[in-house]
Amino acid sequence: MNKKAFGNKLVASPYIVWSAIFIVVPLIIMVYFSLTDQNGAFTLANISDIGKYKKAFGISILYAAVATLITLVLAYPMAYFMTKLNISSQRMLFMIVMIPMWMNFLIRTYSWITILANTGLINTFLSKLGLGPLRLINTPGAVILGMVYDFIPYMILPLYSVMSKLDKSLLEAAEDLGSDAFTKFRRVLFPLSKPGMISGITMVFVPSVSTFYISQKLGGNKTMLIGDTIEYFFNLGPTYYNIASAISLVLMVMILVCLFIMNRCGGNDEDGGVLM
Amino acid sequence: MEKENIVELKNISVAFDGEQVLDGLNLDIVDGEFITLLGPSGCGKTTTLRLIAGFLEPDTGDVLFEGKKINGVPAYKRQVNTIFQRYALFPHLNVYENIAFGLRVKKRPESEIKEKVAEMLKLVNLTGLEKRHTDTLSGGQQQRVAIARAIANHPKVLLLDEPLAALDLKLRKDMQKELKKIQQQLGITFIFVTHDQEEALTMSDRVVVMDSGRIQQVGTPQDIYNEPRNAFVADFIGESNIVDGKMLKDYYVEFSGQKFDCLDKGFAAGESVDVVVRPEDVDIVEPEKGMLKGVVTSVAFLGVHYEIIVDIGGFKWMIQTTDEHFAGDSVGLYIEPDAIHIMKKSEYSGLYGDYSSYSEEIDHLSDAEEEEP
Repeated sequence: MNKKAFGNKLVASPYIVWSAIFIVVPLIIMVYFSLTDQNGAFTLANISDIGKYKKAFGISILYAAVATLITLVLAYPMAYFMTKLNISSQRMLFMIVMIPMWMNFLIRTYSWITILANTGLINTFLSKLGLGPLRLINTPGAVILGMVYDFIPYMILPLYSVMSKLDKSLLEAAEDLGSDAFTKFRRVLFPLSKPGMISGITMVFVPSVSTFYISQKLGGNKTMLIGDTIEYFFNLGPTYYNIASAISLVLMVMILVCLFIMNRCGGNDEDGGVLM
Repeated sequence: MEKENIVELKNISVAFDGEQVLDGLNLDIVDGEFITLLGPSGCGKTTTLRLIAGFLEPDTGDVLFEGKKINGVPAYKRQVNTIFQRYALFPHLNVYENIAFGLRVKKRPESEIKEKVAEMLKLVNLTGLEKRHTDTLSGGQQQRVAIARAIANHPKVLLLDEPLAALDLKLRKDMQKELKKIQQQLGITFIFVTHDQEEALTMSDRVVVMDSGRIQQVGTPQDIYNEPRNAFVADFIGESNIVDGKMLKDYYVEFSGQKFDCLDKGFAAGESVDVVVRPEDVDIVEPEKGMLKGVVTSVAFLGVHYEIIVDIGGFKWMIQTTDEHFAGDSVGLYIEPDAIHIMKKSEYSGLYGDYSSYSEEIDHLSDAEEEEP
């Protein structure tokens, strides 16, 4: 055997073992549970029962889509603005975007409760002015806000990465050829930042659509997302592992299909985007 | 008919972060000419181009286009187009769409775009490559697409920012001829930026030599070469021996301890001057027949001619000759009156035109070679 290839394999082996134990094996277990009944006999009943949860699927996709759209609209100008600054300011802003990601996202979500609660920061302030209280917590808006807040760095970073690599003279060339600011955006910046957008959309949409914690803490128990549904069944005990696995499997397949379509739409611009 | 000025730069100054990039620049550009801004990097030539394109506004001074002030007019409204240094072709568009870009932005009808793009492709010899992606093209082809894309908009002035710098020598020579041909064919004013003096001389109607944000000289290539205004211009364009001299009277100058007839006048009697003698204008003769005597210190064979360094009283001259000489030979130099050019003293006097460091460098290199076992 080629010595170098053997060396490479040796270096990669801890990760291969890790992925096998913690990714591949659980996936097999999940598929096994989704296709069997409580006695371990093969059945498609779990999958065909999925229709019962179409409302949760629908709401999850809707919320995740809205949250992704909002993140994109907020992050795009932010990323562009960052590339316009001098290097030291760019680094600083980059850090400001990154720092929240170093904190546990459960804690970050929890902090929103203290801001949005009926006796929270905003309502306390409003009552001082003789206004309110506003109903902020336990609303769909709060859930979407949580998603946007938690996942926006994953949108900013790939966009920033693509835009900062963009040759500035391309925008000058567009202007030179008669484009005003909007035309420059539409005909050059937007198409060339597509790989970054696709990475960003993926990295925000996927965790949003499968989240359960955000909806529980900020949405009360009123909005049952698909992640909540899975968690709910899972907590009921081993009897419900089969249905929980089936929902997970379907969700996973749906996400993979979405990713596939998205990457197709993005054309063949492999460079620039960071798909993690 | 007297040609009108198409672009005028009036007393322009620009500073970046407190550093003066252009300092009181005045320049008139005539409609239809091929004018080159020539200078070392950092001389302000690209800044000048960006001012005309509209990517930059002057701190003081005015930019005039066809007699009208265009300060503050954004780039996309100016009737000029630019060919960028690294072409700046749109990577997400094919050759056809790159060339059509400006016409699409101006919402021209599809039939007109098609016709125009075909015409442009023919002009730059790229017919048949419409569908190709720009990153599959060679450097020379990308260059041609950039030219076609700019010219498709019928600019009155085309700005070219070192467009040939990325091409290899052979291709660069071909593109020089081609650009010149296109310019003559279309009659568009070309403002060309380069640091390559040979390129400037072969292509231009007029050359603007710049250094430190100021224009050092404006003139035809022949003027610039034969009648440089100061030591900087003499040194930057071609090779020059520049020695201290004294004007004894009109048509009579003293340098290197000898007196020479020359063709220059208008200096005060006894005025200190810089004397330029081009290396190819010096004849090497027998020592006793020479006007100056010296010793050959190094010889380099360059194919067309030899480049030899001759030490004359401590000052090293470069001489180009087709005759072979050897280091250590005693030689005489013969200089015709029309080979001598006299310049007024300037801030650049004494900085250029002595080949002693040059010859030392060669000595040093040959020493190093000899030490090799």
